[in-house]
Amino acid sequence: MTATAAKRLSRINAINWNRLQDDKDLEVWNRLTSNFWLPEKVPLSNDIQSWNTLTEQEQQLTIRVFTGLTLLDTIQGSVGAPVLIEDAVTPHEEAVYTNIAFMESVHARSYSSIFSTLCATRDVDDAFRWSEENPMLQAKADLILDRYRAEDPLMRKVASVFLESFLFYSGFYLPMYWSSHAKLTNTADLIRLIIRDEAVHGYYIGYKFQQALAEASPAHQEEVKMYAYELLHELYDNEVKYTESLYDGVGLTEDVKKFLHYNANKALMNLGFEALFPSSVTDVDPTILAALSPSADENHDFFSGSGSSYVIGKAVATEDEDWAF
Amino acid sequence: METSSIVTPQRHAGETSEARALDYHALNAMLNLYGPEGELQLDKDREAARQYFLQHVNQNTVFFHSLEEKLDYLVEEGYYEADVLAQYDGAFIKSLFEQAYAYKFRFPSFLGAFKYYTSYTLKTFDGKRYLERYEDRVCMVALNLARGDETLARSLVDEVISGRFQPATPTFLNCGKRQRGELVSCFLLRIEDNMESIGRSINSALQLSKRGGGVAFLLSNVRESGAPIKHIENQSSGIVPIMKMLEDAFSYANQLGARQGAGAVYLNAHHPDILRFLDTKRENADEKVRIKTLSLGVTIPDITFELAKQNEDMYLFSPYDVERVYGVPFGDISVTEKYDEMVADRRIRKDKINAREFFQTIAELQFESGYPYIMFEDTVNRANPIAGRINMSNLCSEILQVNTPTEYDDDLGYRAIGHDISCNLGSMNIAKVMDAGDIGTSVEIAVRGLTAVSEMSNLKSVPSIAEGNAQSHAIGLGQMNLHGFLARERIFYGSDEGLDFTNIYFYCVAYHAIRASNRLAAEKGQSFAGFAESDYANGTFFDKYTDQVWEPRTEKVRGLFEKAGIAIPGQADWQALKESVMAYGLYNRNLQAVPPTGSISYINHSTSSIHPVAGKIEIRKEGKLGRVYYPAPYLSDDNIEYYQDAYEVGPEKIIDTYAEATKHVDQGLSLTLFFPDSVTTRDLNRAQIYAWRKGIKTLYYVRLRQPALEGTEVEGCVSCTL
Repeated sequence: MTATAAKRLSRINAINWNRLQDDKDLEVWNRLTSNFWLPEKVPLSNDIQSWNTLTEQEQQLTIRVFTGLTLLDTIQGSVGAPVLIEDAVTPHEEAVYTNIAFMESVHARSYSSIFSTLCATRDVDDAFRWSEENPMLQAKADLILDRYRAEDPLMRKVASVFLESFLFYSGFYLPMYWSSHAKLTNTADLIRLIIRDEAVHGYYIGYKFQQALAEASPAHQEEVKMYAYELLHELYDNEVKYTESLYDGVGLTEDVKKFLHYNANKALMNLGFEALFPSSVTDVDPTILAALSPSADENHDFFSGSGSSYVIGKAVATEDEDWAF
Repeated sequence: METSSIVTPQRHAGETSEARALDYHALNAMLNLYGPEGELQLDKDREAARQYFLQHVNQNTVFFHSLEEKLDYLVEEGYYEADVLAQYDGAFIKSLFEQAYAYKFRFPSFLGAFKYYTSYTLKTFDGKRYLERYEDRVCMVALNLARGDETLARSLVDEVISGRFQPATPTFLNCGKRQRGELVSCFLLRIEDNMESIGRSINSALQLSKRGGGVAFLLSNVRESGAPIKHIENQSSGIVPIMKMLEDAFSYANQLGARQGAGAVYLNAHHPDILRFLDTKRENADEKVRIKTLSLGVTIPDITFELAKQNEDMYLFSPYDVERVYGVPFGDISVTEKYDEMVADRRIRKDKINAREFFQTIAELQFESGYPYIMFEDTVNRANPIAGRINMSNLCSEILQVNTPTEYDDDLGYRAIGHDISCNLGSMNIAKVMDAGDIGTSVEIAVRGLTAVSEMSNLKSVPSIAEGNAQSHAIGLGQMNLHGFLARERIFYGSDEGLDFTNIYFYCVAYHAIRASNRLAAEKGQSFAGFAESDYANGTFFDKYTDQVWEPRTEKVRGLFEKAGIAIPGQADWQALKESVMAYGLYNRNLQAVPPTGSISYINHSTSSIHPVAGKIEIRKEGKLGRVYYPAPYLSDDNIEYYQDAYEVGPEKIIDTYAEATKHVDQGLSLTLFFPDSVTTRDLNRAQIYAWRKGIKTLYYVRLRQPALEGTEVEGCVSCTL
């Protein structure tokens, strides 16, 4: 741990992107910037008709799920990513975290776009109140925030990866479920844009974690690993209760749990650790799994949505040889 | 696929399906996941289609004891149009339904069945139960279009249920129903540079969306922002606010909820608002000017390419001044022809931008949004055999027809009704047409079916459309399943043999389409208005066919036509056709247009249009369907190498293939370009230049595929690795 801490950037130098200590920084930076998006791009209002076909219970569930996600994105945008900046070992890594922090705030913002487009203000206010009072949601936030305040930078990364790659997914399940049943498809587009980002975030933070862990002493490595599994168990127990409180009413709890197992394994994989759950309890509903694919190759119909596949392009001027006709 | 020492959860589809009966969505989704041996799970999709009927369709279909009981009920309850059935006697109707049911039609894919029952079939008014099977829909379409002609009705049932001919969505969806939208798909309207015309356009957008189909508007004639109004400078707000109004109009009106209103706007590259027009699609555009759902198209003349080649600036001309100088709207001027003259004319206000930067801006926007479409204006007009000027295309960039302006009185009444454009479409399944071997009959029945739609349409709410249709009887016969056919015959898309086949196939279609329209003109004793001034009437259209031999270059393609028993028309056939056309005329002003075929190609089990497949397993997302998976037609573990997807095929081979077909298509062809996200704007520009040089008429969307960052893929997911 001391080795890592010693490497922390202590002073600010002008960042030179032409001198890279780690190529991964540039690769991820390029990916994140070309994936930049804002919620205004998605024609959410096309989901209003579909929203009205949901039962009151389903609507309430959906709003609650999204307020839960808003809370996580808020934590990640204003605490999670900024604390990682302090631990960065290259200036480029710092820059990547600033992007991650900003996009987390965009995500938090975009749930409000969904609310203002689809829902009545009173229902949304109720849901925010619910989120403040829901003990499992608050416990989840506390567990993560505790780790962010911890001394060990490795543990901060562990917490961050669990949030990015595990905790979000109990919420992501629902819009993917709706979309596979031809409901709220534009909302699902927006969520898929978020998933596209979170997949990269979890992967990158996990990668940085593995780099740092490799330099720690064997004893410390063992300690961190134990600590990680311990945290995951705590989070998992809480997440199961949270899931039950949300999904029992619509009978989806068991499916969501499988999805949790699947993503918990994914999070451990990002950290370079062994999977925890055997494949017998990770058989996620294929419609959800197939919908998750973060590569943007959906052949959408332009008349009903904007799709989740467009990116900011690289501008390169044409040369005389291109115009040789 | 990435290999990893970490043990990760791997799902084994086999175990799951044994453990519990999966629902059809889950079975369908398994298409996108590898099986335990790493193989494609095509059987799971067939099982999904079967389960869809067992679990959902059969138990939600209203049962009738007999056809008579069913038809009586549907007419009495106001589901079917009584007049459609009254044109035939009961015994004939019964035998027609028997003819259709004798085919034992089955949907080969889950998406085909799901799409049909979700969007096309007749449902009870509460939307909960199905009243039609596929065979019933086909019969109602045939009965409606044949208008009492029993022979034609039988032929139409044959062609449609065998899959050789598939009418476009509005026709297939609406025929025979009492509560329905129009049978026509597609409308193109001009906007002139006055408030009456702008106001009428909004109204037309509402009326036409309400009745179904997409609407495109020409904005090139409208004065730019800052142009004078009543000679007072700096008054006009330009075209962007009109786009906003149109967008809102389209989202308000939809066709009984069946599909959303959709619209496009076209602008000439040399209009002064061109950059503002493009910037409406920017990711960070202000909400006041941001355009989300309206499609954009740019018409680019040859001169713009020449200026870019010289790396010069391109001048943008004020439509307000141009109209005052030339006495005709900007859209009716050839910018290439008048460019130097307009640059030199001091009465015309102008701006300038760098031509290469303009092309780069287009490419940047295509990255961010897929738009704009591009119409190569001079290429289009050179190939146009009809007198007049083509200045715009439509929502799918395959309709290319001439138009004329409408003039209004102060009370918004019509002083002179111009000609706007409507086009009804239908597509042939290339593989099925080749299998049946009688391309002449297939084309003729399709042309007769499409002509019937034109004759039955009378859009009173937009008189310029009604007038244009009555005068032209324009139709758009399209083609689909090219890639499916080529792959089944073990020919690579875009290969020499692939190009050879495309050329000869479209050559044959052109011959038979013109012959069918010529027969219609002879039967009816009538040609389209303006025939006398066309290149068909003076015979020059036929030069390229009578002066030159067209035949297969490769053994493989020659063999395919021989095996099918399809005779390839020779010079003497064309000479005879030319004489007949010059003697009797043509009934339809426009005959062919190749649309992108989304929904109908799934129902018809085709690959879309003449594109390569978007994926071996295509992920399809639509508002009404959600996310579903579609296997490429005829795909098997055995022939998978022939199903290179559009991103692997690359833009050049797509353009080459379209260039072959374009030679024989009088209107346009929707051509989407596919790129990996690693390309730059320069690569997009190079593809556009290549397309323009190859004589392509229009470019439709740009689609990008971003592969998942290594390490973030979903395990065992087909679309991540294929």
